[in-house]
Amino acid sequence: MSGAGWDAVVIGAGVNGLVAAHYLARAGRRVLVVEQRQEASPALETGWIPPHIIRELGLASRGLRVAQPDPWIAAPLPAGGRLELWRDVGKSAEAIRRLSPADAARWPEFCLRMRRLAGVLEALYVQPPPDVESREVGELVRLARLGLHVRRLGKQAIIDLARILPMSVAELLDDWFANDTLKGLLGAAGVWHLKQGPYSGGTAFNFLHHHVGSPAGVFRPPRSNIAQVLTALPGVEIRRDAEATVVLGSDGRAAGVLLVQRHEQVEAPLVVSSADPRSTLWDVRGTLDPEFVHALSNVKCRGVVARGTLALDRPADFSTLCVAPSLEFLERAYDDAKYGRDSARPYVEAWAEDGRIDVHVQYVPFSDQKRTDEHRRALAASVGAALGAEPGRVTLHTPDDWERLYDLTEGHLYHGELTLDQILFMRPVPGWSRYRTPIDGLYLCGPGTHPGGGIAGAAGRNAAREILRKKRT
Amino acid sequence: MTSPIRYDAIVIGGGHNGLVHAAYLARAGKKVLVLERRPRVGGAAVTEEVFPGFKFSMFSYVVSLLRPEIIRDLSLPRHGLHILPLESTLTPMENGDYLAAWGDHDETRRELCRHSPRDAEAYDEYGRLMHHMAHAVKPILGMVPPDPTSLNPRDLFALLRLGRHFRGLGGERLHALVKLMTMSSADLLDEWFETDVLKATKAASGIIGTFLGPRSPGTAYVLLHHYMGELDGVFRAWGFAKGGTGSVSEAIAAAAREFGAEIRCDATVARVLVKGGRATGVALQNGDEISAPVVVSSLDPRRTFLQLLEGTALPEEFVADIRRFKFRGSSGKVNLALDALPNFTCMPGVGRHHRGAVSISPSLDYVERAYDDAKYGEFSRRPYMDIVFPSVIDPGMAPPGKHVMSIFVQYAPYHVNGGWTDAKRDAFGDAVIDTVEQFAPGFKSLILHRQVLTPADIERITGLSEGNIFAGELALHQLFFLRPAPGWAKFRTPVRGFYQCGSGTHPGGGIMGASGRLAALAVLGDGR
Repeated sequence: MSGAGWDAVVIGAGVNGLVAAHYLARAGRRVLVVEQRQEASPALETGWIPPHIIRELGLASRGLRVAQPDPWIAAPLPAGGRLELWRDVGKSAEAIRRLSPADAARWPEFCLRMRRLAGVLEALYVQPPPDVESREVGELVRLARLGLHVRRLGKQAIIDLARILPMSVAELLDDWFANDTLKGLLGAAGVWHLKQGPYSGGTAFNFLHHHVGSPAGVFRPPRSNIAQVLTALPGVEIRRDAEATVVLGSDGRAAGVLLVQRHEQVEAPLVVSSADPRSTLWDVRGTLDPEFVHALSNVKCRGVVARGTLALDRPADFSTLCVAPSLEFLERAYDDAKYGRDSARPYVEAWAEDGRIDVHVQYVPFSDQKRTDEHRRALAASVGAALGAEPGRVTLHTPDDWERLYDLTEGHLYHGELTLDQILFMRPVPGWSRYRTPIDGLYLCGPGTHPGGGIAGAAGRNAAREILRKKRT
Repeated sequence: MTSPIRYDAIVIGGGHNGLVHAAYLARAGKKVLVLERRPRVGGAAVTEEVFPGFKFSMFSYVVSLLRPEIIRDLSLPRHGLHILPLESTLTPMENGDYLAAWGDHDETRRELCRHSPRDAEAYDEYGRLMHHMAHAVKPILGMVPPDPTSLNPRDLFALLRLGRHFRGLGGERLHALVKLMTMSSADLLDEWFETDVLKATKAASGIIGTFLGPRSPGTAYVLLHHYMGELDGVFRAWGFAKGGTGSVSEAIAAAAREFGAEIRCDATVARVLVKGGRATGVALQNGDEISAPVVVSSLDPRRTFLQLLEGTALPEEFVADIRRFKFRGSSGKVNLALDALPNFTCMPGVGRHHRGAVSISPSLDYVERAYDDAKYGEFSRRPYMDIVFPSVIDPGMAPPGKHVMSIFVQYAPYHVNGGWTDAKRDAFGDAVIDTVEQFAPGFKSLILHRQVLTPADIERITGLSEGNIFAGELALHQLFFLRPAPGWAKFRTPVRGFYQCGSGTHPGGGIMGASGRLAALAVLGDGR
């Protein structure tokens, strides 16, 4: 079946695209998902899966597995050996005590306070962002309810929220801890996918963002096979090797997509894109309000993360290995990126699961100049050195690769940095945070929208619900 | 010895906020005593004849934010306040070119056009937006911050009103405000302009007094300050007080005295006397005790609570918050006596550019690299500098034919590696002078005398902790109801009868006087 007959086309078969597609399908829509990549990535998905999605799409009975590594992280110590932190708060405290008794004493309270704040974010993330401008009664009620939710957490939580969100993760951690290894491995989560160092304001928010969905005392997001489970879930058709652009009808509405390589047009009255906002809308920008286009071109999405794999000839002796020995180490790694260079000594984290080792490297800034082989060799060497492996065993994709291969704007995997000016009602573009676009019938559902990257499927679910709500009214 | 006079209130510290505070209390009929540690009032807003015949605004050197209601209420012009406009800013570039902003709008536009017609176009629109934003923020400067954790109907009502105020701005301006409050100045300016030197010069004004670089989030909102002063039509963006900033303090002191306040200099307060959880007066370093039912500190939060109240039991959480309050002084000052005005390569000769500011901020990377040095505990080898020549606008500041030059320098971290020593101070001064020399060859030979002030010197002389010129960093998490500590942002303290009125309270920063005034209103309100 092709051509006529689709109610909706979803661009992108990543987690958000598939979640949106399945929610639409469950509401009776005939949905086609088009994906430019030939094969689904075998890598695990990093990020919290809101329980609503697991429940509503019945993922538990479809083989969903969420890895629960214990210890959840290991970090080399300067004097040799490793600091290992466990899912059990007390057991972690014991491990920390060997480095700093004072830090160990503060660990349980820190875990509790951070957990409470992450809980506030979770509540915000499973619904569309609050609309602060709206004068609708329903919206005001929702805002008031949100306010009450926060107030019920008590005085300390309100103060923490106001004080910590704009802070730098370095200031936050310095308030609590003294040990560099501990602060380094925690602080690393505060700079994920940001072209900022741990001394920059707003990184404490990014730290909490990546704590969402984890139990108290675990500061790395869960990893799961949700992408594979959603791919196998019946109800939507997925067409691969199908790079798509949005097609507008003569009335200016979205009319479907054009499968570029196949010169084939798929018609549908509803197009939902999980691609990044800029690349989704760039080709039709001539039809848009210049103010909107200006705002779109101002979205900061400066890719700084390289990802890839490490091939070891022996089984990994870790589940997560973090090489970020101190906050200053992270900041210096950022300094290089600030002036357009790869970090000479990058922050490297490796995740081992089912015999596969995925690697996260930061900072590898996007650059529109061609990356030379020399650059690649230098990067592989520095990553290999960090992990104690031969450079030849490291395979990496850089932000440049992603932009070239997949049209991902500036190679930013979150489709827009999670800075305080680009979250909630400011994401992806101020005034257009509710998954709509200026083009009727075209919606966004990727990590470029609220609540952003690192949360598996929340944007897709919020977008689908928003689309369905609109159709009803 | 006990003082025979009965005072209604004692104000500790005769800086501009302490003086404003005293003036307002005295104006309401209170018998007020101001105690100042140094031989003259003013705190960091003082004029001193550092070298014979050469007068300097030693620390704070420009005025822009002094609240118009204070100027009015205290009739400051009648007491000698006279602001001379600083109209231009010249930024020398490393390639020998320059960027200039003149007092005349059309001329500035033509100059910008020379660099980028697109930027010249955007400049007016940017100015309009900033003007609107300044309007949006202005009411906040004049309000007592409500406590969002309180269930008191007054707080709830104030919060609600605040919410309505922001919603009333409408989408576009609200979004712009969120961006201003959260972005880095470099990122915000990138959205508007393409000329690097323009962005660098504007961004530099966003880092003054902070320990952040132009690419650090949280620096954008300081850009607003430039537009605040203009709002009230009292004076232009930045001004220079005739006679130096000390004359601002003197004018406020004169107003306070006229209302009946007593000001005592060379009077160091050792501690605040507390009995049964209530302030009863102060003890001076010389052993004298003076009692009053109300004691107000204009010192920064660290010295107010950890020094003046040493030994007094305070809530543990509160003390932890005050200890956590960040100072991290990041700026220094170099004051020079000159034989003649320097000759800048980019604009040879003596000209009207000497009547304005000269900004050493040739590129964003230049300013960012200056920050990189500081981040790791060194002073900037090539610092950002804001230079003015007060004697050109106000000839009384120097002997005939000679000049004074004021250089505000960033970054000079308080916590410099190895600590500040005489040798390090000299090295810092040399770095400043060598950098100016690069843009104005021959400048060194014009220097008759030099005074170099590091953050450690600023702390030693003015008492400002860690030499922070704002009495506590103006970072988002240290503003409004969090300044200086959550739950204690309304000028009251855990000790009854003891208040705070310095720049370490809301709204803080600059020669604004708003803290002193708002605190006075709080004290008077409690007295009723």
